[in-house]
Amino acid sequence: MKQRTLWSAALVMGLALAAGCGSAAGPGSPSGNSGDKLVVWDWKSGDAKAAGYVEKAKADFAKKHPGVEVEFVAQPFDQYYTLLGAAIQSGKGPDVILFNGGGQIRDRADALAPLDTYVAEDRQRLAGWDAFTKDGKTYAAPVTLQGHPLYYNKALYEQAGLNPDAPAKTWDDFVKNCGVITEKTGAKCFALGNKEGIGIQFFLSALGSATLTPQEYDDWIAGKRNWASSDVKRIFELWKQANDAGLNNDGANSTAMFNDAFAVFQSGKAANVIGLMSDVGHWKDFAEFLGADEVGVMDAPLVNPAATPSLPYDGGIGYGVAKWAKDPKVAADLVRSLTSTDALSAFYADGGAIASDTTIDLSEGGPAVKTIVSEVKTGKPALHVALSSKTVDLMGRLSQQLLSGSITVDEVVQQLAASDKTG
Amino acid sequence: MSSVGPAPAGPTEGAAIAPPARRPHPAGPSSRRNRRGSRAERLAPFVLLAPAVLIIVALRLWPLLLGVNFSFTGDGDRNGMWVGLDNYLTLLDDPLFRTALGNVGLLVLLLPVAVAIPGLLATFVYLRVPGHRVYRGVYFFPAVLSPVIVGAIFNLLLAYDGPLNTVLGGVGLGPVDWLGDPDVAIFAVVGVHVWATFGMALVVFLAGFATLDPSLLDAAKVDGASLPQTIRHVIIPALSRTIQFVFVTTMIGMLTSMFGLLYVMTSGGPEGSTYLPEYYVWIQQGQMNQPALASAASTALFLIMLVVGLVQIGILRRAGKEE
Repeated sequence: MKQRTLWSAALVMGLALAAGCGSAAGPGSPSGNSGDKLVVWDWKSGDAKAAGYVEKAKADFAKKHPGVEVEFVAQPFDQYYTLLGAAIQSGKGPDVILFNGGGQIRDRADALAPLDTYVAEDRQRLAGWDAFTKDGKTYAAPVTLQGHPLYYNKALYEQAGLNPDAPAKTWDDFVKNCGVITEKTGAKCFALGNKEGIGIQFFLSALGSATLTPQEYDDWIAGKRNWASSDVKRIFELWKQANDAGLNNDGANSTAMFNDAFAVFQSGKAANVIGLMSDVGHWKDFAEFLGADEVGVMDAPLVNPAATPSLPYDGGIGYGVAKWAKDPKVAADLVRSLTSTDALSAFYADGGAIASDTTIDLSEGGPAVKTIVSEVKTGKPALHVALSSKTVDLMGRLSQQLLSGSITVDEVVQQLAASDKTG
Repeated sequence: MSSVGPAPAGPTEGAAIAPPARRPHPAGPSSRRNRRGSRAERLAPFVLLAPAVLIIVALRLWPLLLGVNFSFTGDGDRNGMWVGLDNYLTLLDDPLFRTALGNVGLLVLLLPVAVAIPGLLATFVYLRVPGHRVYRGVYFFPAVLSPVIVGAIFNLLLAYDGPLNTVLGGVGLGPVDWLGDPDVAIFAVVGVHVWATFGMALVVFLAGFATLDPSLLDAAKVDGASLPQTIRHVIIPALSRTIQFVFVTTMIGMLTSMFGLLYVMTSGGPEGSTYLPEYYVWIQQGQMNQPALASAASTALFLIMLVVGLVQIGILRRAGKEE
């Protein structure tokens, strides 16, 4: 009896200790600060498409620092910023961190080391620095560019008897062309997915430069947004009118942008789509279905004669260096390897991303890529990226209400102005 | 009482005297061993309980307290600062959170339907309608699918240009935007949730039927009772405890495990009409970077669940006494 009690007590103590260990250790506490090892957090390196990129970057870094080991830890993207938040709270974690440009990195700039002195040489070669800059300091080097070109299906234009190489220059002509295409081929004008409220983000940014005057556009990006201006209202009116006129695919509010709306475009059921430049829903995906030569990119059709259409884009993703990294110089060298021309060429070729490096050879990519890259120089930051995530979320819901007709444009603009002011 | 006072002194004195008298006896060591044994036995329950208590305290109660504490602090610039009830006021002011609470109310209203469906189907299976063996297996099948898969399946079925609308169009009814119409979407999601989970309740009902005295049914049949009458006067009273159990588990399931379906099917939309508190918590924490506000919403959800749980425990206890 006594023996058994002792045994069970021992067993229970063991279990209790094990339970204690489990809770204390917690998930993801990499010992990345051990001097000759760098830990990189991202959500890309686990992807087979990124294998070549990671390999090239590692090789480049190994040449500079042969003794330093590099470990890539791929985190699931939907948990990424939550896990990163925990690492930042505890003040230890990865040395090199992948970020989305814009709010995601600016919100966390406190935890990062400024890179300006280390990446000076790369300034000219890479584009998209603005998205990783806060208060004049650069916190990450751009890897890809992300933006919202207006893609069109050249085959449908041709079928409808339109010249696929001369897309409409004005909104009115654009709508007229769409009417012809729908009549001749049955395809809708826009493939639109607004289930998550993403459709309006793409629409706002793609048509923004064709609707706002250059002054209004720059003010918007600088944070001086005049929601009451007639040009801003015009964008939301277009959004509503386009749907009321039947330009969008049916059930836009229940169609997911990723990837149902893109599937509508890829299957030739819609002639145009506002897509992305990198990762998904872009020239490479579309080319797989439609053929690289059939995917066109057009300037946003002019809504306001005083506007100058430009490609809306920002730095997509980029690597930064944590404040707590032991040797920021070595970590910054790893960032430079991760943005080397060799590595980015691999990323562009395998992953289908518009890389930040403007010197990459694009001759194989087809006409869409060439058009996009040629417009990068004159491009401007996207309008929706400048908004807070709270306002973007609200805009998504209001845009759904606009489509279902349960709210007016004036109310939408008022609510967005109020949200923009507070948040 | 005071008159009794001296009485206990007797035994105490006796006890005080007795041990020295026994000490020289060989029984001494054995009594010491007994005492040590009894100490081990006294400690054993605590040791045995320790893992469970530690796990509950360290992994449940402590985080819960942290969360409640956190809900009184601010987000962003006010990170870590005491802000009193600000977060709760923000919640009450947020139409999205009010929608989420409204939807909880709607779920409570829809609860009888969600319980009646497996109840009725189990009755038919029990009454051996033709093919009841097949149905018993088929009905349980969705219960083994994960919500993500169920959501993906119904995303296809309920798409605007999907099969269901094609069928409706075939019989001359206009297409319904099942997941895109704010007045319809929440019912579509709840309907799918009920479809995906009623198999478990059905099994519970069938287990309840196994305890039902068949002679009652025979008696009802002899008395000439119709099917509705049999259900109303025989089956429901006999299965009252089972029904209550299913009510409790279905309610908990609806309030705590719809996240996967919502995430896949509607993302809280359209127009935020399918938000539930847990989805709201996730959005505020993961997407809006407002953990303190999310903590306040979690605390509110916890209180709702506490009230619902206590009411249900009360009902169950009362039902237990009745029997």
